[in-house]
Amino acid sequence: MLTNTWALCALWVGLALAATLLAIWFKISTALSEIVVGTVAQLVIGVFLAKEGLAGNTQWITFLAGTGAIVLTFLAGAELDPVIFKTKWKEASIIGLAGFFGPFLGCTAIAHYILHWAIMPSWLCGVALSTTSVAVVYAVMLELGFNVTEYGKAILAACFINDLGTVIALGLIFSPFTVRTLIFVVVSIVVFVVLPFLTPRFFKKYGGRVSELEAKYILFFLFAMGGLAVWAGSEAVLPAYMIGMVLAGTVGKDHSLIRRLRTLTFGLLTPFYFIRAGSFVSVPALMAAPVTLLVLFLAKSLTKAATVYPAVRIHKYDGKAGAYYTLMMSTGLTFGTISALFGLNHQIITQAQYSYIVGTVIASAVIPTVIANSFFLPRHLLPHSQANKKAEQEVMRPVPAEEG
Amino acid sequence: MGSPVFVGIQRILVAFDASPHAEHALDVALSMAGDMKAKLFVIAVIRPPEPAESAEFHAVLDEGRERYESIFVPLRERAKQKEIELETDIVLGHPAEQIIHKADTIQASLIVMGKRSHTILHRWMLGSNSERVLRYAHCPVMIVH
Repeated sequence: MLTNTWALCALWVGLALAATLLAIWFKISTALSEIVVGTVAQLVIGVFLAKEGLAGNTQWITFLAGTGAIVLTFLAGAELDPVIFKTKWKEASIIGLAGFFGPFLGCTAIAHYILHWAIMPSWLCGVALSTTSVAVVYAVMLELGFNVTEYGKAILAACFINDLGTVIALGLIFSPFTVRTLIFVVVSIVVFVVLPFLTPRFFKKYGGRVSELEAKYILFFLFAMGGLAVWAGSEAVLPAYMIGMVLAGTVGKDHSLIRRLRTLTFGLLTPFYFIRAGSFVSVPALMAAPVTLLVLFLAKSLTKAATVYPAVRIHKYDGKAGAYYTLMMSTGLTFGTISALFGLNHQIITQAQYSYIVGTVIASAVIPTVIANSFFLPRHLLPHSQANKKAEQEVMRPVPAEEG
Repeated sequence: MGSPVFVGIQRILVAFDASPHAEHALDVALSMAGDMKAKLFVIAVIRPPEPAESAEFHAVLDEGRERYESIFVPLRERAKQKEIELETDIVLGHPAEQIIHKADTIQASLIVMGKRSHTILHRWMLGSNSERVLRYAHCPVMIVH
């Protein structure tokens, strides 16, 4: 049955549908639901129906999943607020780089010296666990109204720097550094400089038609730069994230275009990406060595805390306002799984190591949220620190009827 | 002229999630606010999926804001016709927490909310918003069935 393209497609889309329903019922992110459904479906189908399971390495599935990762990364980059970034770049750089280098170097060392992984899998582990979920931080900031405070803006911008560090590390550490790498870097710089000027003018002249010129234009640059990156031995999501960031002030503000890209992404592409990422997780490997999972989770959390905490203190933010920067420990599912999949596809890590890394990514995305909801609700009734009070004084919560 | 029981109820907060129960709660609150000459506050809470993922989170946020804003337009007309002072607010977060916080901020005299029927599994996993509000709110809470 799995050689029949349409039957296989129906199976994957059916799983995506089931994952979406589960996400709605349990109010969890669709990405998380799709990863888990992918893992379970691979296990069940592999045991009872077909040896190859979901056939996640079929070429067209790989293409759709890869495109999903690229567009998702682009959208993540396009969420950057350039105005905030310009005003807060110094604090953001220090906190963001600390948030990246801490877990990156710490998890690499722990994977190598404690888990006795070889050096390349250890580097990959460090990259995958160095991310911060911008969305988790932003959600809590919005919830408490801190997104409009100076403190909130700095932390938010720091998350982008953190993820930029992850993407650059993924794109360059495993690159062979040949003439091709140099060509890729030079062409990338030219494209990143030219795009913010070219794009709005091009869209103004030819955009706004039913032929979706804007979407084709963006996809062209994402695929072209992705192709160049892969040719140079790098990773396609690196230019995608950078293109998203440089176009955040123009394309990122075009809500209609972003919404159309989201429809394409959520409706077709990301289910293939996340289900595929989940399908490579080996449940037997996870069950065989749960301590490995625990070690990696602690490594990620402790190294992130150990480096972000002093960086925040340098900027005289009260340490007790820690809910916000400790949230930086929460891993983004997108960048975490992209890094792990890159390692698996390039045979840098084994399937068991991939399973531990993805398991840790999921745990470090879910556990902070579960703890926060179980023990820190209602958050507004918690004892306030001085920094919290100061931050709250800055907050202007909108209530007038005209604004909704 | 208001009933003696409700003397002092000047600020009514309605928790609105666009469900039929919430619509009913809103009708009740509008009627009460009209009778008691109370100011009506309506809060709609957008709950992000957890853990939030960038593109999906922003999509949920945009969709929620647009949805509630479109619902609030005719509501404002209804309130205007009944000469009820109305304020609406769309916030993000855990519904129970945001309702309690809003009630504190505006010093609500009464919270009105609809009761949603959840499965045992749903209640075990996520808890009931009305139960949480009842437990933590500083003012009386009316649950409309």
